[in-house]
Amino acid sequence: MAAAPTRPAGGSRLDRVPPRVLSSAVGIAVLLLWELLARTVYAGSYRLSPPTAVVAEFFEFPGLYLRNLWHSTKTAAWGFLWGNLAAMALAVASTLVPCLRRSIGAVVLTVFCLPFIAIAPILRLITGPGNATPIALSALAVVFTTYVAALLGFDLAPGSALDVVRSYGRGRLTAFRNVRVRASVPALFAGLQIAAPAAFLGAVVGEFTGAHRGLGILTVRALGALQTDRIWVIAVMATIVATGGYLAIGALGRYLCPWSPALDVGAVPVPRTEPGLLNRLAGLLAPIAVVFVFWYAFLWVFGIEPFFAKTPVDVWAELFSVSEAPETRSIIFGALGTTLWTTSLGYVVGLVGALASALVFILVPWLERSLMPIAVALRSIPIIVTTPVIILFVGRGLLTTTAIVAVMSFFPTLVNCYTAMTRTPEGILDVLKSYDATSAANVRNAYLPTSVPALLASARIAVPTSLLGATVAEWLATGDGIGAVMVTAFTRNDFKILWVSVAVLTIVAVIAYWLVAAFELRTLERMAPGISR
Amino acid sequence: MARRGAPVDVVGVGRTFALAGDEVTALRGFDLHVPAGGFTALIGPSGCGKSTALRLVAGLDTPDEGTIDMDGSSPDEMRRGQRIGVAFQDPSLLPWRTVSTNIRLALELVGRRHDTKAVDELVELVGLQGFEKARPSQLSGGMRQRVAIARSLVTKPDLLLLDEPFGALDALTRQQLNDELQRIWTARGTTTILVTHSIPEAVYVADEVLVMSPRPGRVVARHAIGFERPRTRELLLTDRFHAEVEAVSASLHRSEGQVVQLDTDPS
Repeated sequence: MAAAPTRPAGGSRLDRVPPRVLSSAVGIAVLLLWELLARTVYAGSYRLSPPTAVVAEFFEFPGLYLRNLWHSTKTAAWGFLWGNLAAMALAVASTLVPCLRRSIGAVVLTVFCLPFIAIAPILRLITGPGNATPIALSALAVVFTTYVAALLGFDLAPGSALDVVRSYGRGRLTAFRNVRVRASVPALFAGLQIAAPAAFLGAVVGEFTGAHRGLGILTVRALGALQTDRIWVIAVMATIVATGGYLAIGALGRYLCPWSPALDVGAVPVPRTEPGLLNRLAGLLAPIAVVFVFWYAFLWVFGIEPFFAKTPVDVWAELFSVSEAPETRSIIFGALGTTLWTTSLGYVVGLVGALASALVFILVPWLERSLMPIAVALRSIPIIVTTPVIILFVGRGLLTTTAIVAVMSFFPTLVNCYTAMTRTPEGILDVLKSYDATSAANVRNAYLPTSVPALLASARIAVPTSLLGATVAEWLATGDGIGAVMVTAFTRNDFKILWVSVAVLTIVAVIAYWLVAAFELRTLERMAPGISR
Repeated sequence: MARRGAPVDVVGVGRTFALAGDEVTALRGFDLHVPAGGFTALIGPSGCGKSTALRLVAGLDTPDEGTIDMDGSSPDEMRRGQRIGVAFQDPSLLPWRTVSTNIRLALELVGRRHDTKAVDELVELVGLQGFEKARPSQLSGGMRQRVAIARSLVTKPDLLLLDEPFGALDALTRQQLNDELQRIWTARGTTTILVTHSIPEAVYVADEVLVMSPRPGRVVARHAIGFERPRTRELLLTDRFHAEVEAVSASLHRSEGQVVQLDTDPS
């Protein structure tokens, strides 16, 4: 059959304009509007810097900016290196010794769910005031995604090839060396691509809480002094470097494995748990035990003084047995309630906006062609790095957290859902078209259902990340929620509250991840049985 | 038997695709005439434009030249009038819907959501009783194709277009579905066009078999198949059936200008 055009020729003349021209036109229009708004409506409000002022500010202090940018980039590069090495080593261990997989997965997930901004002060106890904390955070920020990607890559090895190795009487190690390592390269690069902006984010967040140099500390100072232009310069530089890393690794991946289709690590399906209550219980308890072992080992290896170091038992006591426990509980859980409320609201706003935009893009191709490249570029940006800009624009209040979480969840969800919608089987669309189905019927019967797996896969990553973003916003600006509790504890050297907050927040994020994953598994079984394993 | 449906008249149709800077002419000077209630099979070498022709008749694509007329309507008007049923090689079922709700989809799209009787009737017609609540993933390939056929028939279309609906199935299932297709067509008398790769299949089910040339595709031979209906599997073993298959095969051979593997397997 001859290849039919994938989309009907649209009625709009704009459909024939090359996408590059359209996106550039839209980009220029946005810049002009931005300049206009900043010069008129927001003039003198410290909320929005006009693009020209941002450029002028950079050229006034190029040395300052480049020095700090270089410093943060170097930090991120070290973190990227260490974090990815650790993640790959863990993935290799998980593949060669399958019984370790669940426990390693739990530790890696816990690391992913840690509120980075609050563990910086704790790490600083060990590393001292130097650059090691931002590097460590940057490394921690990449472990989860790279681990998941590498594991997926190893698992993608064709079973028949593994059987061939086995049929020659060779073991797991040979199969790993000859088949799995090769097969993993495309997925690994997909993971490394996400890791590049994440490492930069980790470095900057690490610098937020006290570093001598780097974009993070520069931001915090500028935020205190209300230097709007400076905050914008930093945000733009961070965006460029993070996106550059994302694009460069993507290009390298395509160069090294041109045969491979684009892989989206965000869309990795969740593994199924073995049936049976005992298995489930073991599956739940073993990883928790491993996490606690790691917690104790961390304190013991680094020999942290008891004043700073809190064990799981200490945290439990703070929350439930000491005389101030009720007070602590009311502070922590009250603040947690605020954080969860603002975060969920922001997430839902971002999600609904993303789905609506994806549908508009599907139905109006010229809009997609002009705006989608921008959305794809923005997806790779660690939005948390641009938090100060949003803080300035929205102001300091409950809405700030909601706005940041909404922006954070919007772009990845939009890109993932839109991509899934474009993969709606041609045949289904033809059937719908053969009955002259309305756009609404197409959306209801084809586009919306096909985007659900992508939506849930995005949510699995986006929900813990949203909590992280919310705590950063609260730490830096709003004075509400658990982020504010943590920053207060930090400034008062109240390590008990700091540990309790970190522990509670991490548990909540892990639970949120598993809730989404469980829901995803159930939905996939119902909707797309071929996808779930 | 009541004959219903629209006659199809395709005259001098051409269709060219732009493919990676290259132009590929799928069809040129393509003619097709199917009487109301007729059953025509289109057969031809791979890539000869059979599917393109079917998509043009379905109104899913528009020709660059030539005309397509169905009882005074254009394919697009037929499509907008919701008078066409299609089924492809890929059953294209919605995986999140059950057998009966997949069949109902067509009714929903033509605004007859509550016609549960029609759904039940089709489930019975394609022999899927007891599987109404099953999802596509729980069905075999043949059962999925039956659902697709049922969906294409449930709206009582004036024109049924089948693009290798049994192409991916094993020989036995395929013969079984061909029997059912014939039975359904006999009961409904809908104008039907079937695109297929299998000569015996075409000869077994159709009134007329049209042989197409390689790309750019056009009809190079017509074979009227006069076997009485209902046709049964005994027919497959008769000499006259084999003679007809050989005749079509020879046409195809000539059209391709190369050796054709004679596929006498009745699938």
